[in-house]
Amino acid sequence: MAATRSRPTRVARPGWHTSGMTWFAPGAVAWTAASRRLIPARLISLGVVLVPALAAAVVGAILLTPFLWWVAAAIAVLSAWSSWITVRIVLAHGWAERDDDLLVKRGRMWRSVTVVPYGRMQYVEVTAGPLARAFGIATVQLHTASPGTDASLAGVPADDAARLRDRLTSRGEARLAGL
Amino acid sequence: MSLEDERVYSAPREWVHVHPVSPVLGGWAAFAGVVGLWFYNGPAKADPGQPRELHVSILLLAGAAVVAAIVAIGVGYVSWWFHTFRITDEAVEQRKGWLFRQQKQARLDRLQAVDVVQPLLGRIFGFAKITIEVAGGSKSGIELHFLRLADAEALRNEILALAAGFRADVASARDAGHEHVAKEFSLRTEAESFRLAPAPGSARTSIAAAVERPLVAVPVPRLLLSILLSWGTIAGAITMLVVVVASIVVGLLVPDVNVVGALFGGGFIGVLTGIGGMISSALKTLNHGLNFRLGISRDGVRIAHGLLETTRQTVPPGRVQAVSFSQSLLWRRRDWWQVVINVAGYQDNQAQVSTLMPVGTTPEALLALWAVLPDLGDPDAPGTVARALVGQGGDGGFIPSPPAARWVDPWQWRRRGVRATDTALLIRSGRLVRKLTVLPHERTQSLSLRQGPLQRLLGLATVEVHSTKGVVKPVAHHLAVADAIELLDAQATRARQRRSLQTPEQWMVKVGISEVRDARE
Repeated sequence: MAATRSRPTRVARPGWHTSGMTWFAPGAVAWTAASRRLIPARLISLGVVLVPALAAAVVGAILLTPFLWWVAAAIAVLSAWSSWITVRIVLAHGWAERDDDLLVKRGRMWRSVTVVPYGRMQYVEVTAGPLARAFGIATVQLHTASPGTDASLAGVPADDAARLRDRLTSRGEARLAGL
Repeated sequence: MSLEDERVYSAPREWVHVHPVSPVLGGWAAFAGVVGLWFYNGPAKADPGQPRELHVSILLLAGAAVVAAIVAIGVGYVSWWFHTFRITDEAVEQRKGWLFRQQKQARLDRLQAVDVVQPLLGRIFGFAKITIEVAGGSKSGIELHFLRLADAEALRNEILALAAGFRADVASARDAGHEHVAKEFSLRTEAESFRLAPAPGSARTSIAAAVERPLVAVPVPRLLLSILLSWGTIAGAITMLVVVVASIVVGLLVPDVNVVGALFGGGFIGVLTGIGGMISSALKTLNHGLNFRLGISRDGVRIAHGLLETTRQTVPPGRVQAVSFSQSLLWRRRDWWQVVINVAGYQDNQAQVSTLMPVGTTPEALLALWAVLPDLGDPDAPGTVARALVGQGGDGGFIPSPPAARWVDPWQWRRRGVRATDTALLIRSGRLVRKLTVLPHERTQSLSLRQGPLQRLLGLATVEVHSTKGVVKPVAHHLAVADAIELLDAQATRARQRRSLQTPEQWMVKVGISEVRDARE
């Protein structure tokens, strides 16, 4: 069903799109960046809210009162700003499969790295909404016994997602420990 | 009465019902509810000028109460008929549901805790409910209510023996021919075995309860004083004082009498609400904390508590995921601590089941910690923990938060710090309410490192250790970035190493006391 041929997983190079996370760089770890198809997907879901609002404000400004131009301008600025943030967040998102655990990094302003040992995984979940399916991406979420574990990988190419899930599951089984 | 002593109770291997009295014990609540409603609404609304009508309304409402109780009991009996359970070598199984059948299985190798709970009526008439908590998602545990106290105890003992790995012993006890009594329920056996308010542990069971060594008992006066001096009480008192002073001051400044009245009234209502909240939370703490006893046995830690409703918990060895000590400001002079724990499987009623010790001195708190985490991986474990409880900065080998942390955390930064022993991680925090969290490395679920914009500016980062769902949430805030990264890396390694050395789920197998016929793997 994957319409687009997925590119081979890119190994992050020390470039602009990883520079935000140089603070935690364990030696010899190959980071996989989230698919850039996540950017249009996220921008569309953002646009679904903001574009009608902007249109309404513009129409109102033409028909009712010029004051609404200010509102339209504010919405335009907000849209630009949140699009920029969205792009930055997607570019900062990535993961790395190490021998015994999975690293997940996310965020620019508020950034975090999560370490999930394979032996602690209870189950792995793959989800893809209609928008994500249209862009050929999926979300892979790892669950441990802790509700605090926030290990979801957004923007995994759809055909990689199933493989990643199986790989994670088999590693989890090999290292599974009691609680 | 004498017959009772000869009876030997054992857990059912065949499907049996819970005790037939269960729906009545449940229906009683509906009856009491309707009667309570009547007391609340009925007399107040009746017109005292017409005593005849009042009489009729009483009869009507009493009738409604009886009908409601009968309906509740009737529905209860239908679900009772479909509610059966049994125990096998591997699991406790439960079947219930009338329209929607449900079959549940609590695997004993995933056992996390077994609790015997007796509500007030259950205590009077000798019934108990048993809760079996296993690792897994929410609602994976099994709750059986109600069983005769002796049956509940027999079931608990057998569950613990099987989970510990004493399969052979359980089998030989079964071959000795002890019959499960509830199986052949009859009024005669019921009448013979009935005793008012039987003492826990008095009945003979096919598997005897593991011998318990008492460790800590909390005296009533100390519990009362600790509630009085607790942080909630202090905060409530301060809030009330502020409200009263504010309303008086505003009242004095504003000349209008009506405004004064309104403000004073508002303040008064605020104060009353505050007092009500404080009293109810204090009563809750009191009810759960009274008669608190902590003991240790072969089957793990035993916790018993409760005034009206008693709870007796058994948490097998190695099931405690995290421990946290806290000391409110006014407890400091008396050297008191509260100890709470995370146990996987405890999903609801966290506050009620996760207390390891409501209030105790430092030596008692250390004893409680030893009971759940016997090996802290430190040559002087009690000394290390005792120093960590009161220390600050780099005391006792802790990695402290750097001075830069004062800008984001001016109050607590001196107390913040972490230290890893060979087997556990200690996280220190809190200034007015001192806190110390102890977390065994092998119980780490996952780790994360976080940094906000201000922290980045100051060169700080936060390390979070994810434990199972519970009241303890281990987080080391505002460490220096280099320390935090090193901690994250080292902690991941330590957790992995400790996990590989982890004790088996069947705790007695490790000790070699039991020869398990078919050991797993």
